[in-house]
Amino acid sequence: MKKRYLYLLLAPGLLFLALFMIVPLILTVGSTLFKDGSFTFGIYWQFFKDSYFLDILGTTLLVSVATTLLCILIGFPVAYYLSMMPPRKKGILLALAIFPLLTSSVVRSFSWMIILGKNGLVNNILIKLGIIHDPLSILYTPTAMIIGLVHLFLPLILITLVGVLESIDHDLVRAAQSLGASKLTAFRKIVIPLSIPGLIVGSILVFVGSLTAYTTPALLGGKKRVVATFLYQNAITLNDWQAASAIATIMMIITFIVIGLMNKAAAKFNPKG
Amino acid sequence: MKKPWIKGLMTCTLAALVLAGCGNGGSEDSSAGGSSGGQKKLVVSTWGFAEDFYSKEVYAPFEKEHNVKIVLETGNNADRLSKILQGSSDVDVVYLSDYYAQQGIEAGAFEKIDRSRLSNLDALYDIAKAPNGEDYGPAYTIGQLGIAYDQKAAGTTVSSWADLWKPELKGKVTMPSITSTSGPMMVDAASKVAGSTEFNEDKAFAKLAELNPSVVKYYSQTSEFINMFTQGEAAAGPIMQMYLGDLKKADPNVEFVTPSEGAYAIINTLNVVKGSKNKELAEDFINWQLSQEVQEKAAKAKVDSPANRNVSLSAEEAAAVTYGSSVVEKLQKLDMAFVNKNLKSWTDRFNREVTK
Repeated sequence: MKKRYLYLLLAPGLLFLALFMIVPLILTVGSTLFKDGSFTFGIYWQFFKDSYFLDILGTTLLVSVATTLLCILIGFPVAYYLSMMPPRKKGILLALAIFPLLTSSVVRSFSWMIILGKNGLVNNILIKLGIIHDPLSILYTPTAMIIGLVHLFLPLILITLVGVLESIDHDLVRAAQSLGASKLTAFRKIVIPLSIPGLIVGSILVFVGSLTAYTTPALLGGKKRVVATFLYQNAITLNDWQAASAIATIMMIITFIVIGLMNKAAAKFNPKG
Repeated sequence: MKKPWIKGLMTCTLAALVLAGCGNGGSEDSSAGGSSGGQKKLVVSTWGFAEDFYSKEVYAPFEKEHNVKIVLETGNNADRLSKILQGSSDVDVVYLSDYYAQQGIEAGAFEKIDRSRLSNLDALYDIAKAPNGEDYGPAYTIGQLGIAYDQKAAGTTVSSWADLWKPELKGKVTMPSITSTSGPMMVDAASKVAGSTEFNEDKAFAKLAELNPSVVKYYSQTSEFINMFTQGEAAAGPIMQMYLGDLKKADPNVEFVTPSEGAYAIINTLNVVKGSKNKELAEDFINWQLSQEVQEKAAKAKVDSPANRNVSLSAEEAAAVTYGSSVVEKLQKLDMAFVNKNLKSWTDRFNREVTK
C-alpha cells in the first residue's frame, strides 16, 4: 500500500465523528441562534440576565469545583501510595479503586440515600455515640450531591494520577535528598510539579463530569438544582428544545473555558511540562 | 489498492446498521410480525410496569382472539410521546396520562376515535368517557390523588390539603415537582387553600411559596416519594392511592386520606396514533382494556383502579384501589387543555417564586 493512501484508514472514524458528533453539534448550537428566522444571541442574553438561571449555574459550578478539589485531596495521596506498590498488589488495589465506576449511578445513589438519610447509617451512628441529638440533614442538600459525585469520579483522577506518578523517576527524589533537600521539599519541588499533567487531565475529567452529571444530582440533590436537571426539565417535560440546546451550549462553552484556564495554570506551574 | 475503501465502506455500513438497531431499541421483537405468514402486528406503547400482569391477562387473550402479535414499546410518558411526535415509530395504540394525551392531541398525533366501536364505553364512569374531548380516547383507569402521611412522624393529623401548611410539618413534607403529573393539581389545591373559589394563579403561587420551607424535596418519581418515607426524610405528601401498598411496605404507619377539599383524579388514557394501519384493531384493543373482565382483574391485582362502573370488589380487594362511584364521582378533574396552555409559565413561576 502506498503511503499516501494511508489516511484512508482514518475515513471510517472521521465519517462516524462527522455524522454523529460534528453535525449534531452544529445543529444544536445553530438552533439556538435563530429566532423567527433572524440571527440573534437573544436567548443567551435572557439566560444571563436571569437571576434564577445564574443561581443554578452558581450551584453547579460550586458543586463541580468542590468535587474536583476533594477528589484531588483524597486522590493524590492514594495515587502516590499506589504508585509505590509492587505491580501485582497495585493491580489489585487499582481494580478495587475503580470498582465504583462499574456500578450504575442509580444503584450508587440509592446506596448513598440509605447511608445519608435521617434514618440512615451516618445519623444512626452519630446519635448512638451521643455526638448529636437530632439527625442531621445531609440527604437532599448540595453536600449529598458532592459526596455522591466524589465517590463517582475519584477513580478517574486515581487512574490518571497513578499513571503519571509511576513514570516519575525516583532517582530524582533521591538526588534531591542527597543534595540536602528535606523529604517534604523534595516532594514539593519534584513530585508535585512532575505530576501536574496528570493532575490537570484528572481534574478536567472530574470537573466536566460533575458539571454535566444528571443522575446523582437528581437523586441526591434536594431543592437546589443543577444545570443538567434544569436542562432535562426544559427538554423532556416542557418540550422546549431551543432552551435546552442553549443550556447545552452554555455548558459546552464553560467546559472549554475551564479547560483553557487549567492548561494556562499548568503552564505557569510547570513551564516545561 | 481499493481495499481500504471497501473496508471503510463496510465499517461504515456496519456502524450504520448497528446504530439503526439501537434506534429501535425500545420496541422488542420488532420484526416478528412482518414475516410470519401474514399475522398482523399491533404496536402498543406503554409504561412497562406490571408487565407480567399485562402480558398474561391483557395482551395474550387479545392476541389469541384476533390472531395478532402485540409488540411493546415501553418508557415514561414524555419519552414515548416525544418519540411519536418525532414520527420515528410505528405505534398503533398508546397509553398516556391525560396531560400527555392532551399534548399529543394538540400536536395532531392521534386519530379520532370511532366511539360506536367501543361497546364498553357506556359502562365507564362519566369522568372516564372522554377526558380529552369526544373525539379522542377514553380513560381506562381513574386513580385518586390524596395525601399519605405517617401520623407519628408528622406529630399531627392531616385531613385536608390545607393541613400540609401546618407548622408541625416543617421540613417533613414532600411535594410533586411542577412538571410531574400531579404538579398542576397542587397549583389548583394551593389556590383553594388560599381561599379562592375560582382558580387564582397569583394566590396559588404565593401559597405554594409559603409551603416551600416545609418541603424536603420536590419529587418527580413515586420511587423517590417512597424512599423519602423509608429514610424518615418526609412524613406527609400528596400521592396516588394505588401506591399505598408499596408505601406501607416502606413505612407501616402510613395512612392515606382523601383531603376534605376533594382529591384529584389521576387519569390514564388510550389513544390510536395517527397513521396507524390497524385503526380498527387498535379500537378493539382499547375496548378490550375497558371490558369488565380486564378491569376487574387489574383491580384485584392492584395494578389499575377501575374506570368501569360494573367492576365489583370485596372490601379487601378494594384496599388501596380507587373504587366505587361515591369516591370516583367526587374526584376533581383539571382541564388539561388549560394546564397544557399554562404549564410553561407555571413551571417558570414555580422555579422562580416557589423553589427559589
